[in-house]
Amino acid sequence: MSDKLKQIINKQNEKQEESLIRTEDVVQLVGFVIGEEEYAIPILAIQEIIKPFPWTRVPQVPKYVVGVFNMRGAVIPLIDLRLKFGLSPLNQSDETRFIVMRHGDDIAGFIIDRLTMAIRIKKTDIGPPPDTLAGDDTMIDGVGKQEDRIITILKVNKLLERDF
Amino acid sequence: MDEFQEILQDFLVESFELIEQLDQDLVELENTPEDLELLNGIFRVAHTVKGASSFLNFDVLTHLTHHMEDVLNKARHGELLITPDVMDVILESIDLMKQLLFTIRDTSADAGVDVVACVVKLDKISGGDGEVETPVAQEVAPVQEETVQVEEIVSDDEPDYDNMGADELEAEIERLLQERQSEDKVKREAKIAAGESVPSLDPTPETEPTPEPAPAPAPEQVATTPVATVPTPAPVKRAATVEQTIRVDVKRLDHLMNLIGELVLAKNRLIKINDDVEERYEGEEFLEELNQVVSIVSLVTTDLQIAVMKTRMLPIGKVFNKFPRMIRDLTRELDKKIELEIFGEDTELDKSIVEEVGDPLVHIIRNSCDHGIEIPAVRTEQGKPETGTITLKAYNEGNQIVIQIDDDGKGLDANMLKDKCLEKSLITEKEAENMGDKEAFGLIFKPGFSTAEAVTNVSGRGVGMDVVKTNIEKVNGIIDIDSEFGSGTSIKLKIPLTLAIIQALLVGVQEEHYAIPLASVLETVRISKDEIYTVEGRSVMRLREEVLSLVHIGDIFEVERILDSSEHAYVVVLGLGTSKLGLIVDTLVGQEEIVIKSLGEYLKGIKGIAGGTIRGDGGVTLIVDVVALMDIARNVKTTVMTDSSSNAAVAKEKSKSSDYVVMIVDDSKMDRTIMRKALEPLGVTLVEASDGQEALKILKQGDTHFDAMLVDIEMPRMDGYTLANEIKKYNRYKNLPLIAVTSRTGKSDRMRGVESGMVEYITKPYSSDYLSSVVQRNMNFKSEFL
Repeated sequence: MSDKLKQIINKQNEKQEESLIRTEDVVQLVGFVIGEEEYAIPILAIQEIIKPFPWTRVPQVPKYVVGVFNMRGAVIPLIDLRLKFGLSPLNQSDETRFIVMRHGDDIAGFIIDRLTMAIRIKKTDIGPPPDTLAGDDTMIDGVGKQEDRIITILKVNKLLERDF
Repeated sequence: MDEFQEILQDFLVESFELIEQLDQDLVELENTPEDLELLNGIFRVAHTVKGASSFLNFDVLTHLTHHMEDVLNKARHGELLITPDVMDVILESIDLMKQLLFTIRDTSADAGVDVVACVVKLDKISGGDGEVETPVAQEVAPVQEETVQVEEIVSDDEPDYDNMGADELEAEIERLLQERQSEDKVKREAKIAAGESVPSLDPTPETEPTPEPAPAPAPEQVATTPVATVPTPAPVKRAATVEQTIRVDVKRLDHLMNLIGELVLAKNRLIKINDDVEERYEGEEFLEELNQVVSIVSLVTTDLQIAVMKTRMLPIGKVFNKFPRMIRDLTRELDKKIELEIFGEDTELDKSIVEEVGDPLVHIIRNSCDHGIEIPAVRTEQGKPETGTITLKAYNEGNQIVIQIDDDGKGLDANMLKDKCLEKSLITEKEAENMGDKEAFGLIFKPGFSTAEAVTNVSGRGVGMDVVKTNIEKVNGIIDIDSEFGSGTSIKLKIPLTLAIIQALLVGVQEEHYAIPLASVLETVRISKDEIYTVEGRSVMRLREEVLSLVHIGDIFEVERILDSSEHAYVVVLGLGTSKLGLIVDTLVGQEEIVIKSLGEYLKGIKGIAGGTIRGDGGVTLIVDVVALMDIARNVKTTVMTDSSSNAAVAKEKSKSSDYVVMIVDDSKMDRTIMRKALEPLGVTLVEASDGQEALKILKQGDTHFDAMLVDIEMPRMDGYTLANEIKKYNRYKNLPLIAVTSRTGKSDRMRGVESGMVEYITKPYSSDYLSSVVQRNMNFKSEFL
């Protein structure tokens, strides 16, 4: 009797471990487009995604820090990723979104051109950033390959790091 | 009597807390009788209560606690084992102690509780088991003498000690002593032999029964308790009721304050929405109800805010109390005679601010003692009383607290101050010349400045007053210094009541708004542009008899000047510490209560910005950091007057005819087509707009630079005149030629056109050649492109 029970328990444990492995194997990302490129960040780093609304300019900061905005009572910096990535500014369209990212206590909103989709990608499909871009300073966490496309995965902590 | 009541309050609060702890500890002790740490703790409690009660003349209580202390002391030294029997007695004595404290709370006296039985038991324990008698006796003796009377009083007639003169009291004590002495002579004699000495363990040396020992020991009592008590004003009632106080972690109060802040923001928003709704649904019935709710909410919020702010308030007396001692020491050190008078020590301030003003006050008072007050010989020579007086005053003034430090010393000599500064090259010759007396007094706050000839122990290092300035500025305070040479100096520190929620003046520059803490705003003035003068590349203005340097807020915060500012400007006069600055803004929006929010880690430390606040409309407005702003202003080459030069660069060199851009504004499609047809041969780029608002929108986008504009006068939504007026507000388009194309031919119409800034006036009908030539002329069209 107890042998049987043990067997069942063992089986269950195995199953659980399996599922654990499975979830560990897959990374969930949210993809978005800036300029021509598709980028992605881990879904867990995203606090929320909102439609654009007015912000207040802040003086004496780099151009890509466009200002601060009010998110339910908190004052949050807003960063234009187009400008940050050295692209020319673009007027906002219907597809423009603010992605509010959080890493520890750091929080900021980022303007992106448009969202693509939530992506589930196997860890094994993520390669390291190209050697030319590797190093401590890079904002790129890795490069995800999926079917016919390549997604650049960004480091949220680097994005939220003040570099001025 | 009030002072006594205050001390009594503190004593009661503290004692009840200690006893609560004592109960727990004793119970624990019974389980682990060898725990020395615990025993020591308990002993200290009994000792503290004894010390305090003897100081307050609660003799029954002292008597009781003294015997408790004896027992515990023995146990502490390992001479006595805490058996359950012993513990029973100790617990009993603690219960009695509680009872006594309750009695004290209700009647301000400790009569009416019989402690004799318990004391006897305690005595038995300590006396019966004790191996060594002498050390105990040393402590017992003097206190026992005092306590004698009490036991008598309890059983006897209870004379009213409060109404008794000092001599009468003395006699009474004498009488009681003698009674007691004869009563148990033998026991007492042994003890007296050992000790006339006052117990050295006593933590409050001030406990000698002087008639008015109140002010000095009061802080002592507070100091022994590490956590901040919520201060309560001394009740005037005769009986000392224990204020129902709880000690609260300051963090919790801060959190509460944050929440209130959110509420204040929400309230502001609600009020704004209410205004909007009122406008839209005027006369509707539900409005009244809404109005009521909104006003209740806003009223309660305000009250709540004040209530929470009050919980964080401490009387400034906490800081003032240390000065009498400091003055005493200084007078001896400096060989001067100085008296300190303190007023308004009950004035309350936010805890965080109280902590900040301590140091500045120390420096100011030291300075007054050292440099202000002369030595007695000089004073008599000048016909002043030998003893100098320093007055320390605190009072409320509107939203601020004013701390005023006056001395009747030699005062400040403006010329001497200037010379000193020149000597140390802290200022330039020119600056010295233009300096008024008040500004010169302000020099004492410059880092590195010192008037003392030699560095003494007390001052002369040139650091002190700089500290004053920095600390006061940190809390957004203002320093006002006034002095008359020969007769004294008066320094006023004006400090805001609280830091988290502040009153702010909202100002506008172009399309942006900024909030300036009202505490730093001295006044606002409206001036016309020609009241601004330029001195050495800096803008200044005369403000009454003073010369005020000016800086445009746009220059500090890099605001793009799209709109042309009008002939008039508003100057916000900022005052901080002793310096003043005129900040030019485009508009004054109004006064609002704002909550300071940090911009977060990412944007912290931006110069000139203290934080942000959320406005009624949900937008964020930045709060100006006046300290930093004044700093920036020093290095800004102001462009107050030279704002029109920059826009010339916008017009690029034209290389082909399509580089020229002309806008056609007309509500009639046909008219637009006619104009288009007339201009197309030139090859210029044409942009069309169907009314004034559309045209303005295109201009605002700023994507293209226009070289000319053809404007119809009669259009829906916004007519040509209004459009022209609006356009002229934009710096960038100030020189854009506007050509009116209209069927209105009246003279007054032409006049209006000129007034609104139209350069040409073409009346319909017109020939296309004429139109083309007018446009060409006005935009300097180069003929080679044709």
